[in-house]
Amino acid sequence: MENTNLSARKNPAAPMNWKHWFGVLPFFIFAILFLFLPSIRLFVGSFTDNTGKFTFDNIQQLFSQRVIVDAYKVSIELSAMTALGGGILGFMLAYAITIGGLPKFLRPALITFSGVASNFAGVPLAFAFVATLGRTGFITAILKNVFHVNIYQTGFNLYSFWGLSLTYMYFQFPLMVLIMAPALDGLKKEWREAAHNLGANNLQYWLKVAMPVLMPSILGSIILLFGNAFGAYATAYALTGGQLPIVTILIGAQMRGDVLHNPGLGYALAIGMVVIMAVSLLGYSWLQSRTERWLK
Amino acid sequence: MKLFARFLKIPFWSWFWLILGVLYYFLPLYATLDFSLRMERGKISLKAYQMAFADPEFLRTFGYSIFLAVMTIIVSIALVVPTAYWVRLRLPQARRFVEFITLMPFVIPAIILVFGLIRIYSSPLTIPFTSITLMQPLTNFKVGTNILIIGGYVVLGLPYMYRSVDTGMRTVDVLTLTEAAQSMGANWPTTIIKVILPNVRTALLSGSLLTFAIVVGEVILASFLGVPAFGPYLFLLGQHRAFEPAALSFATFLLTWAAMGIIQLVTGGQSQSSGAH
Amino acid sequence: MAYLELDNISKIFGKTTAVADFNLKVERGELVSFLGPSGCGKTTTLRMVAGFETPTNGKVVINGKDATNLPPNQRDVGMVFQAYALFPNMTVAGNISFGLKIARKSNNEIKKRVDEMLELIHMPKFGNRYPYQLSGGQQQRVALARALALSPQVLLLDEPLSALDAKIRVNLRAEIRAIQRELGITAIYVTHDQEEALSISDRIVVMYDGRTEQIGTPFQIYNFPETAFVASFIGTLNAFNAEIVDVQQKILKIEGINVVTAEDLEGKKNGDKVMIAIRPERLNFSSEQKKANLIDCTIANITFLGSIVRIQVKVGEINLFMDTFNNPFLDLPRIGDKAEITCSKEAVIFLKQ
Repeated sequence: MENTNLSARKNPAAPMNWKHWFGVLPFFIFAILFLFLPSIRLFVGSFTDNTGKFTFDNIQQLFSQRVIVDAYKVSIELSAMTALGGGILGFMLAYAITIGGLPKFLRPALITFSGVASNFAGVPLAFAFVATLGRTGFITAILKNVFHVNIYQTGFNLYSFWGLSLTYMYFQFPLMVLIMAPALDGLKKEWREAAHNLGANNLQYWLKVAMPVLMPSILGSIILLFGNAFGAYATAYALTGGQLPIVTILIGAQMRGDVLHNPGLGYALAIGMVVIMAVSLLGYSWLQSRTERWLK
Repeated sequence: MKLFARFLKIPFWSWFWLILGVLYYFLPLYATLDFSLRMERGKISLKAYQMAFADPEFLRTFGYSIFLAVMTIIVSIALVVPTAYWVRLRLPQARRFVEFITLMPFVIPAIILVFGLIRIYSSPLTIPFTSITLMQPLTNFKVGTNILIIGGYVVLGLPYMYRSVDTGMRTVDVLTLTEAAQSMGANWPTTIIKVILPNVRTALLSGSLLTFAIVVGEVILASFLGVPAFGPYLFLLGQHRAFEPAALSFATFLLTWAAMGIIQLVTGGQSQSSGAH
Repeated sequence: MAYLELDNISKIFGKTTAVADFNLKVERGELVSFLGPSGCGKTTTLRMVAGFETPTNGKVVINGKDATNLPPNQRDVGMVFQAYALFPNMTVAGNISFGLKIARKSNNEIKKRVDEMLELIHMPKFGNRYPYQLSGGQQQRVALARALALSPQVLLLDEPLSALDAKIRVNLRAEIRAIQRELGITAIYVTHDQEEALSISDRIVVMYDGRTEQIGTPFQIYNFPETAFVASFIGTLNAFNAEIVDVQQKILKIEGINVVTAEDLEGKKNGDKVMIAIRPERLNFSSEQKKANLIDCTIANITFLGSIVRIQVKVGEINLFMDTFNNPFLDLPRIGDKAEITCSKEAVIFLKQ
């Protein structure tokens, strides 16, 4: 039904009318100007050396230059950590509000709030966390005055890897909630009842039926979260002032002042990041299609 | 008493994760609010808000961001609605390609997009391998920069706007609506304006609100392109002041919440997330 | 002693009574259907036998043991659900062996049993398929095999065919009945399709609005409905009001015409209004065969239904349906013609309100 078009319905043998493509021309032109051209520029640039000739050098240096390898390492660690942390917390919260037996009115409230929280990133989020866990932050103060624990003395620092992770989690775990809540809805109650009927207890049902069915969805979401964190810039910059060496910050620095002393390398860095994002999107898509096959 | 008994039946862990989640959501917001109310020593006051909103810079940049947001929304709608409509109606073959385009912004985050945009449009546009200049760098002109950033914003919001409109069109089955309108003698403009647009109002509202939220808070494109928008202003404010940034951050949160709340209301539950920045 | 006993079962949800005063004794090897429209309580009752609902009052006794308070995973009953029954992440063999694995049977035993079950449902080569690769009918057969794999004491089926196409339904219900007979397993079958219930049950429990309307064999239910609901729910029925003219001679008046019934009018007096019914197939044209009752009518409509021709006639203000077997050489009257129809005394039955 979705794929019929009017001309096909009137005359199945009619050839595709090239005039029809005019309708989408503005869109395509826009995409070319603002998406494809910049991307191609970056792509071509990453294979160009300082004199304008073709080279693989830049790509190579992605894997050999200390600064770059370190940046990728930190980025990957940060993204993986917040993806897992956000994934677990998000899954648990999604579970609590769907099958967990909580009062029904809590679900729409929490879904709305998850929508808000997952969009609340960048500069305001950084400020919010400074107000919370900064040196004079709200929680810092409570911990110091009430529990007599000075977290800054124990080595914690909001403006570091761990602080940034905690901040990233603020938009990671609601995203997980938003994806997992519908997925958990997809667990048919007949499966649980059938499992019970066949002698299983709750744990056996979860281990043998529910978890395996949910796994593609969970994995896909975590991969999506990974990509989400990997591409983030504003939150990191606002919080750490560009001190933390992650790939996005490095790209920003390169844009401002060619810190790598090699424009081609900057492009390669960007392309490397695009590759990682593309792979993560593909992984998510593939796992989503697996999910749909089982949960349809 | 009965209500209480029902609450007791709920497993402990559900409450645990709920409370943990709610704390995580609310503590930073509370901390921000609390901090923003303490500008005057020893008492709670809205001084920080007063000062923040009275700052002429704030008004200028916020107004400018709203302007950019409105322009972005207009361009988005002008691009997306006809395209989504046309693909549904006449060009299902283009569907995959169009959807690919709408997925690209996920793969090309803002920092990379702005990198590419700057590189292309900050040098003169020439025909490759010749020295014929077609256009001076866009970034030389204020209007040019505006065009760039609006274009960039449209790209950032594209996935959400397109998906929202496309789903809306599917739900109301624009194909059948169009056939019905045409069988009653309507021409194309009438069909689009009187029949299609009113029916995708909800989708448009939803997509527009999300775009609005994205643009107003956006800081990457704005700062790298040197545009005097709200994002960079807020960041700069954070370097010099303490209470006003907190006030504005909380205000931003309220704004986002209002936008999301309206979306929830009109769409009845399908939330979209624009993810990290 | 009955194999399965439901003793004074009732289920109340807040203010709604879903099931009231349900009593049933099922013999070993019997297939009993719960038949009724949506919301009549048939599924709720079944779920109480399965253990997914707990009765507000009453007892469920399975093979002598009181199972009322046993959780569903300890009752030794097998359940087939209406839809989404199979575990999507397991193969057909995986699904069927699920219960056996939970019961920690040995791998050999499991394999043997799975093969047996696949043979039983006539799907011997399907062991490695996944549910999404099967049609609706195939999925339900696997669901049946999965429930039977553990040799349960009672088999419960909750509208297993409702989600399938009509043709498949007819074939599959015969298969289910054949398997049930072959294994001699006691079964309860919930359905809203009266043809389904009539064709496969040993006995039927007709339910409406939480109450039991009638319990009987298909033959009894069809030919001797006890209430207006049962009569109207099962098959087509001509039902209308009549006035008693003569209690002794069992004469009633419909639209000014006198008809004679074979039913006992005990406890009623002349002038009482009652509800009576006549099955369409008990009426025929008097030109074919004259019976006790003769009624003048006008032909209103003729509908060709395949093997049956349904003729609608008007008697005064009342519409009557008359079913006659299709016969290519039958000389049917035309619409508007006058005719005389007839039926026996026994065909006029009473309905309790």
